Amino acid sequence: MLRYIAQRLAAAAVTIWVATVAVTLLIHAVPGDPVRIMYAKFQSTPEQLEAVRTSLGLDQPIHVQYAMYLGRLVEGDLGRTIVGDQPVLDVLLARFPATLTLAVASLAIAILVGMPLGFLAAYKRGTWVDIGAMLVAIVGVSMPHFWLGLLLLFFFALQLGWLPVAGSGIANLVLPALTLGLANAAVLARLTRSAMIDIFDQDFVRTAQAKGLPKTVVLYRHALRAGLVPIVSMLGLQFAYLMGGAIVVENVFAWNGVGRLAIEAVFARDYPLIQGFILFFASIVVIVSVIIDVLYAFLDPRIRYG
Amino acid sequence: MRRSTTSGPVLGLLATALLASTGQLATSAQAAELVWARYGDLDSLDPHRATSTLSMQVWDQIYDTLLAFDADGQPQPHLAKSWEISEDGLTYTLALEDGVVCHDGSPFDANDVKFTIDRAFDEAQPSLTRTAWGPIESVEVVDTLTVKVSMSSKFGAFLPFLADSFSSIVCDTNTADTFGSSTAIGAGPFKLVEWVKGDAVTLEKNPDYRNFGKPVENMGPPHLDRLVIKTVPEPQTRLAALQTGEVHVAEPPFDDIAAIREAGELEIVVADNTGQNVFWEFAISRPPFDDIRARQAVAYGTDPEMAIDIIYGGLSQREWCPIARGVFGNDQEFCEQFGYEYDPEKAVELLAELGYGPDNPLETTMFVWTGGNRHKLAEIFQAQLAQVGINAAIEIMDIGTMNARVKEQNELVDDPSPGTFDMMTWSWYDPDILYALWHSPGAYSGFTTPELDAMLELTRTTIEPEARLAAVQDVIQYLMENAVHVGLYTPGWEWVFAVRPEVSGFKVGAFLHPMFNDVEVKE
Repeated sequence: MLRYIAQRLAAAAVTIWVATVAVTLLIHAVPGDPVRIMYAKFQSTPEQLEAVRTSLGLDQPIHVQYAMYLGRLVEGDLGRTIVGDQPVLDVLLARFPATLTLAVASLAIAILVGMPLGFLAAYKRGTWVDIGAMLVAIVGVSMPHFWLGLLLLFFFALQLGWLPVAGSGIANLVLPALTLGLANAAVLARLTRSAMIDIFDQDFVRTAQAKGLPKTVVLYRHALRAGLVPIVSMLGLQFAYLMGGAIVVENVFAWNGVGRLAIEAVFARDYPLIQGFILFFASIVVIVSVIIDVLYAFLDPRIRYG
Repeated sequence: MRRSTTSGPVLGLLATALLASTGQLATSAQAAELVWARYGDLDSLDPHRATSTLSMQVWDQIYDTLLAFDADGQPQPHLAKSWEISEDGLTYTLALEDGVVCHDGSPFDANDVKFTIDRAFDEAQPSLTRTAWGPIESVEVVDTLTVKVSMSSKFGAFLPFLADSFSSIVCDTNTADTFGSSTAIGAGPFKLVEWVKGDAVTLEKNPDYRNFGKPVENMGPPHLDRLVIKTVPEPQTRLAALQTGEVHVAEPPFDDIAAIREAGELEIVVADNTGQNVFWEFAISRPPFDDIRARQAVAYGTDPEMAIDIIYGGLSQREWCPIARGVFGNDQEFCEQFGYEYDPEKAVELLAELGYGPDNPLETTMFVWTGGNRHKLAEIFQAQLAQVGINAAIEIMDIGTMNARVKEQNELVDDPSPGTFDMMTWSWYDPDILYALWHSPGAYSGFTTPELDAMLELTRTTIEPEARLAAVQDVIQYLMENAVHVGLYTPGWEWVFAVRPEVSGFKVGAFLHPMFNDVEVKE
């Protein structure tokens, strides 16, 4: 087991290392002079621009720039924002709890809606219940977050007046969490359905049924437990997907998380912040994936010895 | 690059539904609180650390300025009740109003003015707009209510600058490290309560506020108890929040303004005298626009009047001058004499002189910045230019990138690709913007001549208004005759506000300064 965890951690480290290379190169992918673009809205003199270039190390060869970046990273220094001149890490950490709250709430909605729907569709395979559930799931998967968000806003905030439109309070969490959660519930419903169909066809389920065990015991104790294994592994990916979706949804509902911060950074051409966001986001996804992998290994012993 | 707008019709339908769905608008929960939603947040509470309009509009509420723009954009006495200019034009002695207090209770006086200017010129961390203050050499506190500012050379734009938000007076008690990020002490109509970055700035009434020169009726503290400036990036969400009453003032989705007007429940306030100007600007370092005839062909070959009428309806106006309406020196009749009335035949003639014709069109690229339906405007100009024999590809980019790309284009002297031209924009309160743009080396390393440099220097060093006007008009004539800076329309981008019916007294002052001094929210 320890060997397996060590392997996963090593893979995670490599992934994060690739992300550090990518963010270092990012600034050079910009057409034109990045410093001039970053500071375009300020009345900067050539001397001031040169000073910025030096402070960011952009006057150095790229391998030196990368070494400098890694050196700062080791000290937990992601640089300072162009807009507002704040430490990038502080800015990200200040907004991260809002995104985490949204992601967790959305995941809870996705699980509570998606898994029962998928389970029901699998159990009633081939019936109208199955077709109806999968139709809803396809609509959910196909509908852009942006559009679903506006529709929910229209009905629940504007028509019914039950929920506020925009902001970062507790009541404001409901609509963005529903938007993200329902879209992900659709994905989860499809996954659950196919996982459960596989399980229902397995010999051990047929054996349990043949033994005359009550249907609920067969379904919940035998089938569902076995079916959970692939679903749990997908939850890690779902979480990453939720974090990505948050970029759009946070913008629609003015939810003050890192997703919106990323958009603000892009529009402001705040490269240190964009770099910080990518690295931060990549690290979160990698860490969650490792946790899920380890969890998966605990659930299914074949994996750690495989 | 063409930007697709597939979401447009869908959003339009939704907006129509939003408008139709709420026959009755909700009422405000708190009478003395107003929520203003904007598309983005400010960058800093420190007036020396940012340049965005979104930042300036918040500074306007927290800080005050020595002078204030009247409704026509002319600077008037405000915290400085009077001033004297020395005979050599190098020293300004300003007399301050008595009895003004900063938000922390400390008296506002000459020390605050000195603190602000010294800070703007701090060698270690100068203000981002230091150059706009002019060639200030020293600031002297003569007595508590008199301050003397000395210049190394005459600077005609100094007094207008003192009315602009970049010159906001920062009280000298702003010594904490948190200044700009979480604290801000000014003498403006509202005090800072809290700034949650990315979310909202909460301000409360400054009960000691006194207005001396701002173009509002209320000469005392604001009627509002609280002003919340909220960031809501998505236009449809802002519209929904306006409909539910969660927000009182907001910029509506641009494409829905006509529907909002038709519905008649929200008032639409269009900012006037914004200082914004949109103009043609050319990469003159290489063909084709190193030749004046190619520049003139673009100017004659495009009809801004028709284009803005189609795209913006009554929201924008034709602008003949290189500086916007409300700015000192803007005179439509004067500028029109040197302007380029739509004349496609003339454009064809000029192109023929350059060797271009139906089989050999002039190939170029037009840069346009994103937003405000400008991609549609660019397509109209593209079609007009195609008719005279100019094939202009369109590249759309954000304004910061465009600024950098335009400069880069001017610096590509030997590049074999044809030079570009662009729909450029600037917003400024004084014709001194022309100095920044066109005096050597030029903001874009573009068109400069020793003759123009001398003319621009005169606009800076001439203080007497009539003489300065003549100097500014000489520059305008020169720029237009050389087809260097060809005015198109103003205002340049969307500053339209939708206001809920229970709100009264909302005004947008000259150069895009929303004012809440007169605002009341009915129960």
